[in-house]
Formats: sequence, structure tokens, C-alpha cells
Amino acid sequence: MTSSKTIVLRSSDGATFEVDEAVALHSLMIKHRIETGGADSTTIDVPEVTGNTLSKVIEYCKKHVEAPNSDDLKSFDTDFVKVDQAVLCHLAKASYYMNIKGLLDLSSKTIADMFKGKTVEQIRETFHIKNDFTPEEEEELRKENSWNLFV
Amino acid sequence: MDALPDAVVQYILSTINSAKDVASCNCVSKKWKDSMPYIKSLYFPCSLFDHLKNDQTSDCIVTQIVASVFRLEDLVVYCPFTSTALASWLSFAGHSLKNLELRMNNFIDQNSVTDNQKLDCLQAARNLESLKLWGVLMVNAPKWDKFKKLQNLEIVGARMEDVALTEALKSAPSLTRLVLLGCEGLRTVWIELLHLEHCNLDFYGSGSCSLTLTAPKIEYLEVQGCSLIRVCETSCLKNLSLANNAGRVYMVDFGKLTALDSLSIRGVQWCWDAISKMLQLASEVKRLYMKIEFTGDFEALLPFPEIDFVDFFKSHPKLKAFDIHGAMFAALCQKNSLKNVDSSFKIPCLEEVAVTVRSPLNAEQKMSTLESVVKFGKKLKKLKIKILGMKSGHSSADDFFEEICMLQYMNQRLISIE
Repeated sequence: MTSSKTIVLRSSDGATFEVDEAVALHSLMIKHRIETGGADSTTIDVPEVTGNTLSKVIEYCKKHVEAPNSDDLKSFDTDFVKVDQAVLCHLAKASYYMNIKGLLDLSSKTIADMFKGKTVEQIRETFHIKNDFTPEEEEELRKENSWNLFV
Repeated sequence: MDALPDAVVQYILSTINSAKDVASCNCVSKKWKDSMPYIKSLYFPCSLFDHLKNDQTSDCIVTQIVASVFRLEDLVVYCPFTSTALASWLSFAGHSLKNLELRMNNFIDQNSVTDNQKLDCLQAARNLESLKLWGVLMVNAPKWDKFKKLQNLEIVGARMEDVALTEALKSAPSLTRLVLLGCEGLRTVWIELLHLEHCNLDFYGSGSCSLTLTAPKIEYLEVQGCSLIRVCETSCLKNLSLANNAGRVYMVDFGKLTALDSLSIRGVQWCWDAISKMLQLASEVKRLYMKIEFTGDFEALLPFPEIDFVDFFKSHPKLKAFDIHGAMFAALCQKNSLKNVDSSFKIPCLEEVAVTVRSPLNAEQKMSTLESVVKFGKKLKKLKIKILGMKSGHSSADDFFEEICMLQYMNQRLISIE
């Protein structure tokens, strides 16, 4: 009774990807769109996600839908997130918008692990974050956190 | 990462729990600082505050961090704290806390008043599901109302009074898991917990505690340090381990053990009545571990009476794994029954056996037992023979060892010697 229906996903930069419906449904956002979108929803736009990221997301969904109980799922996940932090952030954002909890948890945890145990400066550098505190605010924070050698 | 929506940043940061990382993240940028209140767990290790400056106290810092979180669910504090601080943390996080783990005292200042105050404070965390305390002095019953949602209670390293424990447990009627390790001071323990499934009790002292447990749903029970153990409703019990390294086990009282899969009995001395009762009740058992040094109903340490080999295996037909030590192994013998046994006798399910041998006395009988295990254990896959403390150079020991080696040589697939 499984239909071999396919769905086309279109990224923000116009790239299209044809996927099995079952794989696409791994994204609760797409599932919702299909269920509420009417009979002809075979092409779904995903404007928050670029083509590169979307293709990775589809790779994740494919593996988790087609072989959810396989022994190498864990090692797949571990290898899947061995990417640079920019790609990780894109994956986190995409999985948030597309409502794919497994991928959101995986990418979030990996990002979080990257700054555990680091000093404030190291965190800012790794993620290219701008320090937007005023010098007074910064001083205040420094005083409060002097017990933390990492400040 | 700056381009990530706030919700995603919050989600990522909410997985941080170490206090050091929390403090660092607070200083990275405004967006990060604003996301910190969404954290779910906080962990304060014991050496966190080794570098305090001026007037800072660890209590204040923990309070400041706990207060900044909206809905804290897990809190673990290993650094020292006062009861005032604890009360303050729980005033902020008490309603949302699900898991709480505290190192109560380091046994340096054994002040029962402060411990009582700390225990009383815990009442504020009324939605707790799991509570773990290290180093507790529970001399008086804590003033607890009811922890309706508490399912897991673990206390490691404690000095308690009987009444205090009984009263404390009355406040946690929904407990499914109870672990009390390294607990001193208890003499007569009454536990009634209708939903309890997993229970691990380890009592220090003279090994003369008496335990009465009413827990009709109990599935896993491990007890160390009791001389009297009474558990009435045991129809769900699957795993049972009774040990007493300090005192004598003189009475056991259990209901039917029809669901029991695994039984372990250990100790220095058990009354024979207690041993035979346990073995009789555990007729369905698949795994059996026996390591008791002596029997005897009183002070005198006596050797075991003979246990008939055929009767033993006939009364435990489902036995799959069997581990037996020293004196008890020595007692297991044929009693001539194997001369008259009918040809259909076999040990049907036995796959793994471990035997620990300590002395070469009665070598012939022991060899005979080992040979019978191999002969009648049709499904036997592994027989491990551990030889402890036998001094070589003593001719009987050497002879015995040689015979064991011979047996091993003839059954190389099965037997291994340590």
C-alpha cells in the first residue's frame, strides 16, 4: 500500500529535488503542507533553505526513513555532522524550519559541543560572533564572572 | 551563527549545563545572554569555586545563575552550600525542577541541624521526579509533605535512624526505584512502597539489620547487610541478590518466586534453613550464583551438609548459568544417587558453569562432580574452573590440579582453567 509518489522540493535558490513522499514526510513542516495544501501539492517551496543545505537534509531524511533500525545509524549520524560550523549552523536552521527534530537535536548538540570548555574569546572566534556589549557592560560581566577562569 | 534565528540559538544553548560554560556563554554577546534563561539543566562541579575573589561566595554565584533561568529542570550541585542558599535556589526553581542531585555534606562538619534544615528545604521542589543525595545525615524525619511525582530516590553514603527513613519514604508513595548505598545506623527497616520495581539496599555495620519490604511490583531486589529479610509479595520478582559480608543471615521469608530468573546468594554465614528455603523457592531460576563460606545457626561456623547433585539439578530444571564457590561446591556431591539414576537424567538447559575451587580436600568427590556436570550437561558450552589459593608443592594439591588439567584436556572445547 506504499505509494511511490514523489514530491519535488524547491530551495531558496531555485534548485529542485525529487524525493519519495515517505522521505519528505520526515519533515513535519512538509507533512503539514501536504495535508493542508490540497490535492496538487507535488512541488513544495522551502525558501528558508539553500540548495546545498536542502540536499544534505534530504540525505539525512532518506537514511532515517529507509533504514531507521540499522546498526550503522549512529555512525552515519556521527559522520553526517563532521562538517564545518557554517554548514552545521545551516543544518540547524533548516531542521528548525522544516521541523525535523532528530536533525535539529543532532546539529544543536554538535554545535554546543564545539564551544563547551572554551573561553568567551574562543567562542566568538569559532563562530564569528560580534561582541555587542558596551565597555561598561563588558566590565560588569567580567566582575560577575571572575570566578570563571574562562572569561 | 549570528544569522541563526533566536529560537535556534536558544535551542542550542539550552543543551549547555556546565556552570562554567553557562557563565562563558553569558558573556559572548547580547543575543546569547538573552538565550541563557532557556537552559534546562545546571551542573556545578565541586572544584568550581576554587578561585573566588573578594566577597564572592559560591552560594551567591549559584543563586545568581539559578535565578536567571526560567524553567530549570535539572540541578546538580557538588560544591558545598548552606541551607539558606538551598532554600533560595528552590524558591526560584522549585516548581519546575524534575531532577535534583546534591552533595549534602562532606562529613567534615557533621552537623545534624544543618542537614535537617537542608532536607526540610527540599519540600519546595514538589514536582521532583528524581532525587539523589550524597552524604546525608538523617537522624530526624525530614519535614516533607508528599513528593507525588518522585519516582527515583538514591542516597549514597548516609547515617540514618530507622524512624527517619520510614517517615521519609512515606512522603514518596510513587517511588519505582529506591537505592540506598553505604547506609549506616539502621537496625530495623520497614519499607512499604506499592509501586516499587527496582530496589538496591546496602547497609553498613554489623550485618544484623532486619528488613521487611512490602512492594508487590518489585522486579529487581539487591540487599547487602541484613540478617533477616522478609519480602511477602514477590510474584513479579525477576532478579534477586542477597548478600551479607559482615553478619549471619539467619532468616529469609519470601512469597512464591515463580518469576525469578536470576538468584545470587552470598555471605560469610547463612543458616542452613535460609539457604535451603531460597533454593527451594527459586525452582524456575535460570541463573544462579552461590558463594557462602559457612553455615550454622549460631556463632559457630559450620561446614555445609551434603547437597545431592541429582536432586539439586532436578529441582532447578531451567538452570542455564551456574556459578558456585569453594565450600558450597565441595558440598555438592552424588551421595550415591548417580549409581541408581535412571538413564533419562540430564541437566537440560545448562550452558555456562563457573566453579571456584579452594582446597584439594575431597578431590575425588569434586572431580566426580565436575565430570558429572560435563556428562549430564548436554547443552554445556563453557565450564570455567577457577583455582584460588591452593599452594602447590603440597602433594594433594598437585594431584588435584593434575586431575583437573586432565579433565580439561579431554574436554578442551568446553573447559577453561584460571
